[in-house]
Amino acid sequence: MKSEVMVGNKAVAYSAKLARVNLIAAYPITPQTTIVQYLSEFVANGEIKAEFVNVEGEITAQLVCMAGSIAGARAFTATSGPGLIYMHHALHGTARYRLPVVMAVANRGVRTMGPDHTDMMDQRDTGWIQLYCENNQEALDTGIMAYKIAEDERVRLPVSYGLDGYVLSYTAEPVEIPEQKEVDDFLPPYKSTYPVLPENFDAEIEDYKKHWLKGKSINEPFTPYPADESFSHLTMVNWGPGHDQQWRWRSHQEAMMKAKQVIKEVDEEYGRRFGRSYGGLVDEYRCEDADVVIVAMGTIASTARVAIDNLRREGKPIGLVKLKSFRPFPKEEFERIGKTVSTIGVLDRNISLGEGGIVYNSIRSAIYDLEEKPLVLGYHLGLAGKEVRLRDVEQIAERTLKTANEKKVETFVTWI
Amino acid sequence: MDINGDEIMRKKMSIRDIPKEEAMWPGNPACQGCGGSLAGRLVYKALGRNSVRVEIASCAPGFMNIRVPSFYAPAFEGAAAFMTGLARGYKLMGREDVVIAGLIGDGGTVDIGFQGLSAAAERNENIFWFTYDNEAYMNTGGQRSSATPLFARTATTPISDTSRGKAEEKKNVPLILAIHRVPYVATASVAYPEDLIEKIQYGKEIKGFRYMQINSPCPTGWGFEPKDSIKVARLSVESGLWPLYEILEGRRFRLTYKPKELKPVTEALKIQGRFRHLSTEESNTIQEKTINNWERLLDMDGKEIF
Repeated sequence: MKSEVMVGNKAVAYSAKLARVNLIAAYPITPQTTIVQYLSEFVANGEIKAEFVNVEGEITAQLVCMAGSIAGARAFTATSGPGLIYMHHALHGTARYRLPVVMAVANRGVRTMGPDHTDMMDQRDTGWIQLYCENNQEALDTGIMAYKIAEDERVRLPVSYGLDGYVLSYTAEPVEIPEQKEVDDFLPPYKSTYPVLPENFDAEIEDYKKHWLKGKSINEPFTPYPADESFSHLTMVNWGPGHDQQWRWRSHQEAMMKAKQVIKEVDEEYGRRFGRSYGGLVDEYRCEDADVVIVAMGTIASTARVAIDNLRREGKPIGLVKLKSFRPFPKEEFERIGKTVSTIGVLDRNISLGEGGIVYNSIRSAIYDLEEKPLVLGYHLGLAGKEVRLRDVEQIAERTLKTANEKKVETFVTWI
Repeated sequence: MDINGDEIMRKKMSIRDIPKEEAMWPGNPACQGCGGSLAGRLVYKALGRNSVRVEIASCAPGFMNIRVPSFYAPAFEGAAAFMTGLARGYKLMGREDVVIAGLIGDGGTVDIGFQGLSAAAERNENIFWFTYDNEAYMNTGGQRSSATPLFARTATTPISDTSRGKAEEKKNVPLILAIHRVPYVATASVAYPEDLIEKIQYGKEIKGFRYMQINSPCPTGWGFEPKDSIKVARLSVESGLWPLYEILEGRRFRLTYKPKELKPVTEALKIQGRFRHLSTEESNTIQEKTINNWERLLDMDGKEIF
């Protein structure tokens, strides 16, 4: 294990290298650009043996990864803000075909070039797993774990992971680089589940027909493949009577729910092998005896750790819940936390216009079934790259503690 | 440089040389007389079964029962990107022998798919792109595409006092792609299967980006009797409306069929409902442009161009 001071984008590039990706397609956009540059250097000097496709736009980048993954390539791409939004159409396709493509997103807002999470939040319903990282080390580790999660046969879904643009992407920190051999032991080679060889075609079609004629349950995919519509000549069969067109959504949702367990398992295994783990879906910091918790994502969690330490020194019973996995959303974890605390303060570096903080509303929804519900307060901060200072987070924490003590809510949602 | 060397190498195909094996299953829900369906049958007959098929939103996914692995690229704009990904993936598997072929409509080629198409051509991706050109968005009810020819009536270029069908000429995508300097560009017609199959069998041995645009008459959209599909296609070629040619390495141009004398364009146009409104003046305009274009192509024939 060696250590190097590197920017977040380089940590991402290292993770792709260590995961032995063999298909990379990406288009430059600030603040993701240097991920692609580092990777093209790795490919050019032979450190990575991969097909590197310099594409003409993000939709193409995603589609190249999608099709390459069908054929059996371990595919990687990276983007940011507007590039991710341009990719939106193709994101649905990769998810619908249940392909384990991994994508790093240097989070950048869509109203300015500054960092916020609105770019990835815009993609929350595309069916991708979404993980968020707090520091460069976590970005490197998550990039490796992402393939293990994505390629797990219970899941088979694409994974995106975010690192705050500039704050991580262009900021250098010491990062430990795992040994290639250890990563190879952790992450076996990828095999596509799609039938792609022309010489096997007739036999596969016979299998398919037999399977279909057996009259399998209408609610389960009746092919050995995760997305039989790749056979468009059989698409018509799928539309036939007795078949539930909703199964694609339903089985996708089931895979998302199973991914919760898989993310936890992969995180634990990574911890055993490499000595670092991130709590699975959520990382709880000083929550043991906390009466109040604040919830943060990405680099704000780092700032919040300091704020929590400061308040703990003053004897305040407060902890931090870092939300790492936004999709799937850790409802069970928040139900458990909701039973033990009186108030939750949610820090949203995002907004769904017309409703409000996305994580705020998700957590309120998650705890709805509890008989005794904690208060949940929402805070908007760091949007459009507005600086998030230690005293901002301390102010949020104090405000949440005050509400907990007084049992009286002045405003549920506050803009910092 | 002349292209005689290539011509000696290439045997002229006769109807007897057309492969017997069909790659298309029987049963096909396309409209009667569908030129696109016929193009699909001929393309995969010529490619053989060591190929894969890529398609996007168009008539093709509905009506093609082709016996090769088939992939629906889930983005109308994304055929070139998807084919790129497959080509790279098959290369990684050590299977560059498999032909990555796309059967793409004209809209997915000349309009929404054009950015990706141009980029794939520039990168010289190892793919074979087939456009079955029925000159409008036929799958959605016949709206204008930039492959629609001058004065043609479509659902979005209607005929009225102020509108005379499409006001612009057809976008010339084969020549645009040729100037990308790709290894192979060709036009073809469903009425000339020997020419079409011969070109595909030549093209499939080439590595790199290959493009073929196939005139595929659409009885439903163009307004003619289904039995006349081949007739319409043949008259288009014989009148010079749809010249058959190929361009090697983006430079060496060759007409592959030269009628001794061009038939009047009206013979092809008058049997199509989409041109029924044409005035004599408009017919003459099309005739004049067709002859000018044909003469330019004759000048280029057998020479290096661009």
